[in-house]
Amino acid sequence: MSTGDVRRPSVNKLSAKAVAADGPKPESDELDADEADAAAPAPAPAPKPKTSQPKVATKSSGSRPGGRPPAGRGPAKSGGGKGRKPVTPVKVSQGRNWGPIAMFAGAGLVAVLIIGFGAFQLIKQANQPPWQERAAGIEGISNYLESNPDWFVYDPAVGNHKSGVLTYPSSPPVGGVHNDYWQNCMGDVYPAEIPKEQATHSMEHGAVWIAYHPDLPKDQVDELAGKVRDRGFMLMSPYPGLDKPISVQAWGYQLKVDNAGDGRIDEFIDALRQNATREPQATCSGGITDPGKTPLDLVPPAQPGG
Amino acid sequence: MAQVVTPRRLKIAGGVLGAVLLVFIGYAAGWLTPRLSTPGESSPEAGFARDMSEHHAQAVEMGMIAYQKASQPEIRTLGGDIALTQQGQIGVMQTWLKDWGLGPNSSRPPMAWMRDGDQAVKGNLMPGMATREEIAMLRAATGKDVDIRFLQYMLRHHLGGVHMAQEVLKLDPGPEVRELAETMIRNQSGEIQVLRTMLGKLGATPLN
Repeated sequence: MSTGDVRRPSVNKLSAKAVAADGPKPESDELDADEADAAAPAPAPAPKPKTSQPKVATKSSGSRPGGRPPAGRGPAKSGGGKGRKPVTPVKVSQGRNWGPIAMFAGAGLVAVLIIGFGAFQLIKQANQPPWQERAAGIEGISNYLESNPDWFVYDPAVGNHKSGVLTYPSSPPVGGVHNDYWQNCMGDVYPAEIPKEQATHSMEHGAVWIAYHPDLPKDQVDELAGKVRDRGFMLMSPYPGLDKPISVQAWGYQLKVDNAGDGRIDEFIDALRQNATREPQATCSGGITDPGKTPLDLVPPAQPGG
Repeated sequence: MAQVVTPRRLKIAGGVLGAVLLVFIGYAAGWLTPRLSTPGESSPEAGFARDMSEHHAQAVEMGMIAYQKASQPEIRTLGGDIALTQQGQIGVMQTWLKDWGLGPNSSRPPMAWMRDGDQAVKGNLMPGMATREEIAMLRAATGKDVDIRFLQYMLRHHLGGVHMAQEVLKLDPGPEVRELAETMIRNQSGEIQVLRTMLGKLGATPLN
């Protein structure tokens, strides 16, 4: 089909004259004739075109009662042949194929409606972007998985567990090798320092750990405790030597803030709790709750707590 | 060669394009239907899956303490049974959330999905849950004291859990949620009788 054929229909509502006046492009004679036919109701049968299937054409036109003036697609196709001699106008126009046209229009409309509705619903539901995106949108957050991926790579000879006091490149740690025991993180609010090697294991399980400077005013400590207490995958403890009043961390992520009222703390928890984890579905219960900042596996009569 | 567009060819072309369009529509509908029919961010189903996971996690914690420390073998067994069952159900509920394209966290308060849910929570504590102090006492207990505390806390916990499951059923949840909620009600109601009987044998009574 030439493009001329496709375009032509768009003007077919105009009168033949207007069309002619518009002066459609090259295949002028034939085109004009066509349009004229299209606009004229019930044209007289004309000599058959040089098509190979005159029968079909006849049948087709015969099946269309009335030969209404076209409203939709254009008269089709007298054959966009450039080299063909313009014979007497071809009457195919009256055999407009309403079947496919109606099906197209109907199906297209239904498709557009379905897709539009679906897209609307999905967009409406997608008010919660993926947690990684939400985390990335928190101002001032550090994503160490991205900036320092080597912190999270284990020596294959050792694995991810190591006993005793460990050193970490960040303070507080945000992941990496840790003790066998984990700190219980069932919404536990620890009044004193806890072993960072155990808290790191808790973060591996998906916990968010809120660490605060021991000098943080009590009302702020209480505010933080309200976000933690009795809530799974949360734990909190003072952290001497902290360079900021509050540091919130999950596996690979950290956010340091000055005030417990900072809304980014909740954003951090919503995005990362249970999501930032190396071990999905691991529990926060069964961990250590004993007081003291010494890793439990260094305490002489080592006794698994829980 | 000139393309002769006959009505027949037009019909064929229309038919082919129509068929393609129908296939496309069918595919689009099939793709969209599950997405449109899965529970959304603030649906009762999502709220139930999130909160019941949290609720179950404490049953796992208490069950494991009893499994390790209870003085009577049948209470150790019961603790292990409860812990394993509820941990398994947590996995089911978390898988739902993943399948629904939802996260494990909600920015809404606990129990917001439930009718009068705001009155059912104390802070972050959902119905029947033990406080951290109570869990600490259970952990620190020894001998028969472990047995009694576990039975008391677990009985209260199950009553709260059954209540939550009954409430979600009132909200006409999807079939998977309905089935699991019914399972919870059936099994935990059975265990509630067992817990009561065991408490009675120990000469103790349920809390409040």
